[in-house]
Amino acid sequence: MSTARRFLPLVTGALAVLVLTVVVAALPWLWDEDPAASVLRVRYPERGIDPDALDALRAELDLPADPVTGALGWLGGALTGDLGTSWVSRAPVGPSVAGALGVSLTLALSAVVVAAVAALALLAPGVWRAARRGASDTGRGGAVVASVLGAVPEIVLGAVLVAVVAVGWGLLPSTGFAGPAHLVLPALALGLPAGGLLARMLSSAAESALAEGWVRTWRSWGTPPGTVALGVARRAVATASPQIALLVVGLLGSAVAVEQLFGIPGVGSAALDAVLAQDLPVAQAAVMLLVVLGLVLGAVGVLAHRALLGPARSGSELPAGVPLPSGHARSWAPWAAASALALVVLTGLPRDGATTERRLAPPSWSAPMGTDAVGRDLWARIAHGALLTVGTAVAVTAVCLVIGLLVGVGGRSARAGAADVVNALPPVVVGLVIAAVAGPGLLGAAIAVIAVGWVPLAVHARTLATEARASGYVRAAVLAGATPWRIARRHVLPAVVGPVTRHGLARVPHAALGIAALSFLGLGAAPDSPEWGAVLADSLAYVERAPWTILAPTVGLALLAVVVALVRESRASS
Amino acid sequence: MKRLAVVLAVLGLALAGCFSGSGGDPAEGRLRVGLSFPPTSGLSPYGNEATLATRLGVTEPLVTLVGGTPIPALATAWTQIAPTAWRFVLRPGVTFHDGSPLTPDAVAGSLNRAAAATPVPRALASLAEAGLPVTARADGDGVVVTTPVPDPVLPQRLASPELVVLAPGAYADPTRPSPVRAGTGPFVLERVDGSAGATLAANPAYWRGPVAAPGVDARFLADGTARANALRAGELDVAEAIPVSQVPTITAPQQVVGVPLPRSVAVYLDQRSPVLADPGVRAAVRGAIAPIDVAGTIYEGRADAAAGLFGPATPWAAARPPHPVLPPATPAGQRIRLATYSDRAELPEIAAADADALRRAGFTVDVTVLESSAFEAQLGTGAFDAVIISRSQQLDTGDPVGYLASDFSCAGSYNQARYCDPATDALLAAAGQSTDVETRRRAALEVEGRVLAADAVVPHITERARVGVGGGLTGVAEDPNEQFLITHETRRG
Repeated sequence: MSTARRFLPLVTGALAVLVLTVVVAALPWLWDEDPAASVLRVRYPERGIDPDALDALRAELDLPADPVTGALGWLGGALTGDLGTSWVSRAPVGPSVAGALGVSLTLALSAVVVAAVAALALLAPGVWRAARRGASDTGRGGAVVASVLGAVPEIVLGAVLVAVVAVGWGLLPSTGFAGPAHLVLPALALGLPAGGLLARMLSSAAESALAEGWVRTWRSWGTPPGTVALGVARRAVATASPQIALLVVGLLGSAVAVEQLFGIPGVGSAALDAVLAQDLPVAQAAVMLLVVLGLVLGAVGVLAHRALLGPARSGSELPAGVPLPSGHARSWAPWAAASALALVVLTGLPRDGATTERRLAPPSWSAPMGTDAVGRDLWARIAHGALLTVGTAVAVTAVCLVIGLLVGVGGRSARAGAADVVNALPPVVVGLVIAAVAGPGLLGAAIAVIAVGWVPLAVHARTLATEARASGYVRAAVLAGATPWRIARRHVLPAVVGPVTRHGLARVPHAALGIAALSFLGLGAAPDSPEWGAVLADSLAYVERAPWTILAPTVGLALLAVVVALVRESRASS
Repeated sequence: MKRLAVVLAVLGLALAGCFSGSGGDPAEGRLRVGLSFPPTSGLSPYGNEATLATRLGVTEPLVTLVGGTPIPALATAWTQIAPTAWRFVLRPGVTFHDGSPLTPDAVAGSLNRAAAATPVPRALASLAEAGLPVTARADGDGVVVTTPVPDPVLPQRLASPELVVLAPGAYADPTRPSPVRAGTGPFVLERVDGSAGATLAANPAYWRGPVAAPGVDARFLADGTARANALRAGELDVAEAIPVSQVPTITAPQQVVGVPLPRSVAVYLDQRSPVLADPGVRAAVRGAIAPIDVAGTIYEGRADAAAGLFGPATPWAAARPPHPVLPPATPAGQRIRLATYSDRAELPEIAAADADALRRAGFTVDVTVLESSAFEAQLGTGAFDAVIISRSQQLDTGDPVGYLASDFSCAGSYNQARYCDPATDALLAAAGQSTDVETRRRAALEVEGRVLAADAVVPHITERARVGVGGGLTGVAEDPNEQFLITHETRRG
């Protein structure tokens, strides 16, 4: 039984890899299209399809008869170290994809360093104060800043950084990847929003830690606040370490838009281009290398979690998650943000959002938020798109939360498994596959974001559940003969739901951003839809000439982030 | 502490690790060029990258086109010696980049191999119906090129970047010749780095004279905004295809040069779509979208408003006769599926403007914007009623009849309006036989009028090139055919 359980994650991981290989191999069939025709179109654009050329190409590419044969053939080659030859460039796939992966790894690790520093800067004051006062509340200011930072679209931040630092001041290169100087701006663009998310995650973990009994004990001994804060930090980082690993992996494949803005030859762009060109050997190799790396880094995160918890976990001596004291000081910020958002939406709804000849008009009395590139009133667009955007994001997050809790609390093992496989997938590639099946649209984009978005919540839940199971009273319940179901429901779930829900709420703007990222590729809402992601995608090219076109949807997302950041769940422990 | 040291060491290694490409050292005077599409097949002359090789000054054809007229390049003179045969006299003293001389045998070999390539080079496609489109043989100090049917525009065809002359050593892989050290142009292609870029050095023995720049570093930047940023930051000397949205941000000393191109952006109305099969409805669509000032608003004056398919790049088209205009029906909420692709940032904006205009006129509109390969895969399947496409009319030869035949004849290979009219086909067939350039142009205008009268296509604009040029850079070719860019005269400072 225990052996089977030990290997279960390995089995699900391997199964996920297999399914994935078949899905990628099936892309031409999903698209209902001859891959030879796709390759021909890429090689000879604007030419139509010449039957002779198609036959010649089919013979050259040696296409498999069906997806399963193709996938197994490719896997066989991959296991012997042969990743095949690109259908488009005819070059061996291995070296080029490995190089792209190295580039992406370098970028992702630098972004994580930025994220860690940003999260530390956001959290340190609150934890220090709390450790000194003996409170378990790390303060609101940090949380608001973290949430707003987490809601800034990476690509918008990147575009602003390029315009100001590289083009305006000439301090750093704007494109390319030839040396460390090229790393700074993209790492900031990717790392700062990630730092906001990380801070939200860590603050949740830190508050749990601050509420634990040992903090009171230490304080009563007169331990200096610095030592207490370090202890809390270690405890929080332990809880968050699988999340940090997840963040690195997520950044590997999902940085496509930022890679393109900075002209960085990363693996996400390689995978995207290959899928679009139906260059299956390259797509297979890129997706598979990402997944393998994701599994390795996922395992490293779990190991780090164990190492940081130290003997406490094995000795089942972790304190129980202590309910947070209720009755926090009320904050005016979420109410102000919600009112502002509601006011903008209600006053904007009657406005006319049709195209006019007044394109890119700056804010004025007649168009207080300005107009976009085809002369549409931005106030009207933001208002018309608010319900669609917020509704979709909330729905997506809710589904992610349910899946995440079920998988996280239901699964017993803390080991890497199918979740890590899914996490390593570039969301744009998932979006493309879903668009191939369901057609492009908001629903497909939402499904794509859900497909990847449940993973961080599941991993968070898994980590917390592991900790809860290691606490004394769960052991007592086991000794008392409680059934696993009862333990999960009565003891584990209450300790998990609160922090994971808060984490999920912090991800609501993230879900909107995920849909926006797909909009950039025409995989999100219809381009003339007022969904905020589509509005952002439409306006990105004008970030410098007409900042107001970007400002309206960005501020909208930031307000949304403030609203959800401060919705405090009452951690009712039944 | 030890643990921290290990973590830092690993991070340090990872951060020091993987960089790619070189920044390019501007002090050497090498030119830094930003390409808009990737050289994935090693700048092979067969296919899309042929133009890339001529634009970077690596390869050269026998003749070049100026205003539709062939002028000498590697060939100094040509005569039609028979209805189906032309003789080209080769320029003496030219050597390939590998040091071997440009001989009649080498030229004949290059042409014969190109004629046998699959797919057939675009410039020769209309000759290929009768078997091999051309055969070439060495003849004294020149080559004789024969065609299966009399061909009045053979010299124009041989200006195609796909029919450049390479050294015999370039054909190790006959399906994908490599111009590395095998061209004749001002720059020697030294290395192609996959899809990342290419490195070139000046050709010390260039036949037109000394080459000003010591070399070229070309790199591929997919994102138009990134190319514009790199130009503005002084990291590029030449940036291809600057998006309209970025043009106003490029200020002196950098500039954007724009010559009119033979490329139109138009809405193709599917003649077989359930909605648009009705000529009255098509006329109503045209009536709604044709008045939109696309050139002035979305292109911000960086394009020319279209009077027809042909624009200022083909000045002879200004003499087009008026065509009949059908009366529009009154729209009654019919649903139109309008689609375009996202690779050219202006097209989705046109889609938004067109959709709104159609809605105001009384239609219901669904807009789809796809990535271009996904879009092309759905073209011609009836998935859309109307598509917005940016389409080149050049087909490498400057011959308007070939373009119209591929886009508007019943058997046309790129007929997106699914327009099929026997009378138009007959006109095109007759024009294809004509040896007189003027006759061909008149026929082209007549066909254009028929297509416009049928509302098969509603032209919005004709495009202009938007090449970003860095401060102090001179000698960049302004070629309406988009075949040449970096020349032996291009220099910085």
